[in-house]
Amino acid sequence: MAKRKSLIKIKPKSFTDGEVVKVSFMVMHPMETGMRKDKKTKELIPAEYITKVVFEYNGKVITTMKVWESLSVNPVFTTYMKIDGAGVLKVIFTDSKGEVQETIEKIKPKG
Amino acid sequence: MRKGMRIVLCVALLSSLTFASEQFAMSDADRAMYEELLENNPADMLLAHGSELLEELGGESALAKYLGVSEDALAPYLAGFPRYIVKFKMVVSIDQMLQGMMHDSGQKPYTLKSSEMVNLSSYVKSIANDQQINIDINANEYMKEAYALGKVVFETKRGARGLSCLSCHNQSVIGSILRTQPLPDISAKGNASAATWPAYRMTKSALATLQKRFQGCMNNALLAVIPLGSKEMTALEVYFTEEAKGATIALPGLKR
Amino acid sequence: MQRRDFLKNLGVGAAGAVILPSVSFAADAPKPKGSNALPYKDALNAVTGGKTPEVSDKVSLKVPEIAENGAVVPVTVEVESPMTDSDYVKAIHVFAAKNANSRCIDVYLSPANGKAMLATRIKLGETQEVVAVAELSNGKFLMASQSVKVTIGGCG
Ligand code: HEC
Repeated sequence: MAKRKSLIKIKPKSFTDGEVVKVSFMVMHPMETGMRKDKKTKELIPAEYITKVVFEYNGKVITTMKVWESLSVNPVFTTYMKIDGAGVLKVIFTDSKGEVQETIEKIKPKG
Repeated sequence: MRKGMRIVLCVALLSSLTFASEQFAMSDADRAMYEELLENNPADMLLAHGSELLEELGGESALAKYLGVSEDALAPYLAGFPRYIVKFKMVVSIDQMLQGMMHDSGQKPYTLKSSEMVNLSSYVKSIANDQQINIDINANEYMKEAYALGKVVFETKRGARGLSCLSCHNQSVIGSILRTQPLPDISAKGNASAATWPAYRMTKSALATLQKRFQGCMNNALLAVIPLGSKEMTALEVYFTEEAKGATIALPGLKR
Repeated sequence: MQRRDFLKNLGVGAAGAVILPSVSFAADAPKPKGSNALPYKDALNAVTGGKTPEVSDKVSLKVPEIAENGAVVPVTVEVESPMTDSDYVKAIHVFAAKNANSRCIDVYLSPANGKAMLATRIKLGETQEVVAVAELSNGKFLMASQSVKVTIGGCG
């Protein structure tokens, strides 16, 4: 499976150590509920949705999300996070078909 | 029965062009919530992909060189598309210009409807973000012609219901509710179509160009669909872009 | 009234007689239920262990009154909390009361979040209540809810 397009966004773009920033993770994912019918074949489209999203900052888990099929297609997840030194933020998602993928963003506080 | 009724209702509304009984009036608080969605537009991922595709072609510097402008002048130059390009001998939109660039560098161009081209051309148009649309329909006879043709396409009544774009997109019907949707003002201040497309359509969960959006309306209004990149389609884009002249480009847009 | 004005503006006048294409519809099958189906009451109990959450203005739930499109409904939950080691929000749960599986998302937080907030987008099949429940570090549950009207739309 080709890597799904994904993106981590931090607001504000420039921040200092100790600042609380807004973190958004988004991914191109169909979030199929398993209850939708293919318009042509009339067959049910198999379920395929994200089940879990973990935000890991310098190896420490900051936020864990248990996700259900009622989230929108190409979902977006936004929470806050306290900046605690330079390093990397890793967002790892798992879906109902067992696919696991991680997205990485460098964290560089100013000053 | 509810589902069945709903479908009948939709068909009936479409074929008679009546209003939905259920009025759709958005409160200011709701509008603010939807505007906030722009902060995290799923299309940002697709434009990021478009940016990678442009890097493969040599990035902004290669694009500027191809267009014969300095890198500093690239953004305002892109804000003037569609343009007449001498080496193509025709008026083109950004996607066709990029096909030319790919071809001239010995690569097989992406097709206009491919997701690669939609992502790439959307990213390239977004290089002009914060610039004002500066199309010049008097730049030469070709641009004049394209604008005139675009106006004809916009105003010509055709199809099974004898509708033109103007039937639904004119000053006196803007804001009227058609099938739960208010008719949009295509040259609205701060939300002009040519400045906010390519956009992510939430109903389709996909990024679409302005020309693709035109095709959507053609389908809905039972007008034969004009092909992407055809002379008429480009002319229609010229017309919409002139209608949005001076508007600040803000891409990708986010639409219902 | 509006209809007549609209037709006049369109310049198609009374010619716009309704021609209903003959479309046949299959009898309405009962809504299929996925393996995750769980009614709201049960889902809530599973989270709170049977406790009834206290309605609190410390939980601010922002959803549109009228959803433009049921497939993408923005939801933002913010919980007032110092987010210190001794007093923080452990989790935020979002439910769509009438979806077959009423659970949307469970977010587990820690003081390292600095602020207790979740924003996402959910699918709503019909007009219904959206409920946000916050689980505090002292074991208390707080909640807020708001109804979202889902207009027809999406049939074109
Ligand atoms: C039957 C009425 C009708 C006709 C005819 C019609 N449109 Fe539309 N158009 C609409 C409605 C309604 C919307 C908004 C739909 C929505 O929000 O989903 C719209 C939206 C648009 C938009 C997007 C506006 C924006 O910025 O979001 C464009 C562009 C557009 N139409 C172009 C055209 C063109 C070009 C034609 C002629 C080929 C045309 N339309 C014909 C009803 C019509």
